[in-house]
Amino acid sequence: MLKPRTVEELAEMLARPAKHARTIALEGCASKRLMGGPTPQADEYVTTSGLNRVLQYEPHDLTISVEAGLPWRELTALLAKHRQMIPLDPPYGAVATVGGVVAASSSGPRRRLYGTARDVVIGMTFVTLEGKQVRSGGMVVKNVAGLDMGKLMIGSFGTLAAIAVVNFKVVPAPEVERSFLLPFDSLAAAIAARDSILRGVLQPSAIDLLNPAAGAALGNRAWLLAVCCGGNTAAVDRYERELALLGNGVAFDGERHDSLWHYVRELTPTFLSQHQHGAVVRVSCTLKELQSVMEFLPGVALARAGSGVCYGYFERTQDAALWLSSAARRGWKGVLEFSPEEWKQDVEMWPAPGGDIELMHRVKKLFDPENLLNRGRLYRRI
Amino acid sequence: MLPKGARDRFAALLGPGNYLDQPDDLKLYEYDGGVDKHAPDLVVFPRTALDVSHIVKLAREYRLPVVGRGAGTGLSGGAIPREGGLVVAFARMNRILEIDLEDERAVVQPGVVNLDITAAVEGNGYFYAPDPSSQRACTIGGNVSENAGGPHTLAYGVTTNHVLGLELVLPDGAIVETGGKECDLPGYDLTGLLTGSEGTMALVTRVTVRLMRKVELVKTALAIYESGEDAGRTVAEITARAITPVAVEMLDGVMLRMVEEATHAGYPMDASAVLLIELEGLREQVEEQVEQIREACLLCGAREFRVARTAAERDLLWKGRKNAFGAVGRVSPTYYVQDGVVPRTKIAPTLRFIAEVARSSGLTISNIFHAGDGNMHPIILFNPRQAGDLEKARGCGEAILGYCIEAGGSITGEHGVGMEKNELMARQFPPETLEMMSRLKLLFDPEGHLNPGKVLPTGRGCLEIRQQPLTAGTPLL
Repeated sequence: MLKPRTVEELAEMLARPAKHARTIALEGCASKRLMGGPTPQADEYVTTSGLNRVLQYEPHDLTISVEAGLPWRELTALLAKHRQMIPLDPPYGAVATVGGVVAASSSGPRRRLYGTARDVVIGMTFVTLEGKQVRSGGMVVKNVAGLDMGKLMIGSFGTLAAIAVVNFKVVPAPEVERSFLLPFDSLAAAIAARDSILRGVLQPSAIDLLNPAAGAALGNRAWLLAVCCGGNTAAVDRYERELALLGNGVAFDGERHDSLWHYVRELTPTFLSQHQHGAVVRVSCTLKELQSVMEFLPGVALARAGSGVCYGYFERTQDAALWLSSAARRGWKGVLEFSPEEWKQDVEMWPAPGGDIELMHRVKKLFDPENLLNRGRLYRRI
Repeated sequence: MLPKGARDRFAALLGPGNYLDQPDDLKLYEYDGGVDKHAPDLVVFPRTALDVSHIVKLAREYRLPVVGRGAGTGLSGGAIPREGGLVVAFARMNRILEIDLEDERAVVQPGVVNLDITAAVEGNGYFYAPDPSSQRACTIGGNVSENAGGPHTLAYGVTTNHVLGLELVLPDGAIVETGGKECDLPGYDLTGLLTGSEGTMALVTRVTVRLMRKVELVKTALAIYESGEDAGRTVAEITARAITPVAVEMLDGVMLRMVEEATHAGYPMDASAVLLIELEGLREQVEEQVEQIREACLLCGAREFRVARTAAERDLLWKGRKNAFGAVGRVSPTYYVQDGVVPRTKIAPTLRFIAEVARSSGLTISNIFHAGDGNMHPIILFNPRQAGDLEKARGCGEAILGYCIEAGGSITGEHGVGMEKNELMARQFPPETLEMMSRLKLLFDPEGHLNPGKVLPTGRGCLEIRQQPLTAGTPLL
């Protein structure tokens, strides 16, 4: 395992093997090996975990620049000291690196209000197989100088280049955060409550929907809307008053708030640690379609109900793959997001890519003409 | 000049009334909102993506440069055909195709005017967030090309944060869709790559945008200062207090007087600077924040802090801000506006530097800008009939942008690079970065048909990165 300590070393460690057409597997700390396509058998293994410095942080500029191998928890802890945050809420947040979170475009509950990596990354340095250091964007929150190449790296699973440095915009942490768990007898009732929140003036940071199987661990076998709100005390009190009108809910703050969102955020890692053959599908859908997708998911299921992203949990990977192909027949856009290594070669992970897949192949070819880097990691299509 | 026969082929393809080829007409397409000028040889008006596809195929046959154009309000020459050829004007692809409030999306053609999206949905309590000052005229296609911003992008993000899907026509005529109504589609974010590519990689023929729910309460405040630097320091103080306004705009004294004379918006004539600050959200939150902002402004030396009492007062304050460039026209024959960005904490020294540049050049430079995100808009007043003034103005602009780069910022926050700042790209980015941008551009546009001479250095200066010249017959795929 090669572990560069500087961006220059990283460049050299990619360029040397690439020159001899040796395949390279790239990782941060490999927390998400179960995610995406197979972890390739490679000639060289490179980890960015040795690149773990904070390069620049001026809290009043609301920006931070860090190396890709910095543990995500260290980044969030540093920001928390200044009452700031990058609210991506990724799963595996306790072990993941910054580069891994960005390369996998991991996100979590509060994406409804704060968006995903594509909304908070303002600059990046990545290293190509030619050993070149390419900079995109910068350290200011508004910047349209040249192509936004960083966008290509977000969610690329390291198939194009190695992310070396990431610059983020940060936001002040809300004065108070409180969450609400609203139970409903039926999916339809939960969706109706979601719609009424979305149509109103309240702006929760998270609106997650848990089906009864997902809610069981919280001691509530109903359809649950988990809503997170931030603001000053008066605003959060108002959320509580108005959300109470939608259902007979419970409000959480402090430790119970933290443990609720820890459960929701870490549902995937927890499930996979308990089910050796388990798999997780992710479906991107419209807000309207969300009800049908959740209805159709047979086991534990969780949705970012204000954004249109559903996660379905399966104890057997073959069931997940079957479900995914039937979902694709309905026109839903999904991937087998997490699955055990031994299944990854045998099942269709991304059944219905869009018409732009051909362009994506061309982009891959530009960066990696010999298909050396993280081969197949992008749901085995790239 | 069009090659022989080309005009007739386009005329046959498009039919009468769908193109312009007379010099008088073409002259109307030689400029945008910036200072550069160059006329096209032909302007065409497609109505469908298929029209656009046919147009680019024919243009390719004749090796004509192809430049997309929305309303021509851009400020960096993005819609001007630097090398002649074809302007594809999207004025007739101006339909809102779908409004889907339940999914918080709208699907529009590129010629739809920015503000018309909001107009179509505000009755239902929604809006489209990016709000460039030209939003009454500028089009979504142009916004996507330039990744347009606006005052409220401080809170809501720029165009790229609100565009989820595109339909594109590639230079070989292929029609491709990227993204869609859904978020987080797997694969490379081509929508994100192409947004802000300034028409150099594809022509956008359909855009899927996010709609947002209107907030409960908006409060607009005006803080009045005797010193521009105090206003600059206030921005950092607001950040330090963890308050997040949706907009923080600064106007300096010169600008205040020009704007007030033109719009009677209620700005003070004798102040050195004002901050126009807007807060939005839940009533409880906004009311508290207004008081926190008041405290921050007064602490930093504001002589007065007032809050607009009515919607009419608020609209008037914004009218002054958004019509500022027009107001300049009453005072100066013309102006040159810059778009550099600096980290928020460097606003005060940047203002000092701009004042120094003005002093040494002898030109008047006024500032009106998005202070909240450090996006400076120095407006350099000059008289184009005065020999040497345009060059002097350009020199001032370049000096200011050089300072922005040194301060860790950028040469453009929202106006784009275009043909105005492309040589400066080499000062902001190392050669490896420019080379990668160039290779991505050529991946989409291998023969260099689309908007040639834009964004990247052309090599006319002392730069090594050269754009590929037009060559016929190279296979595209």
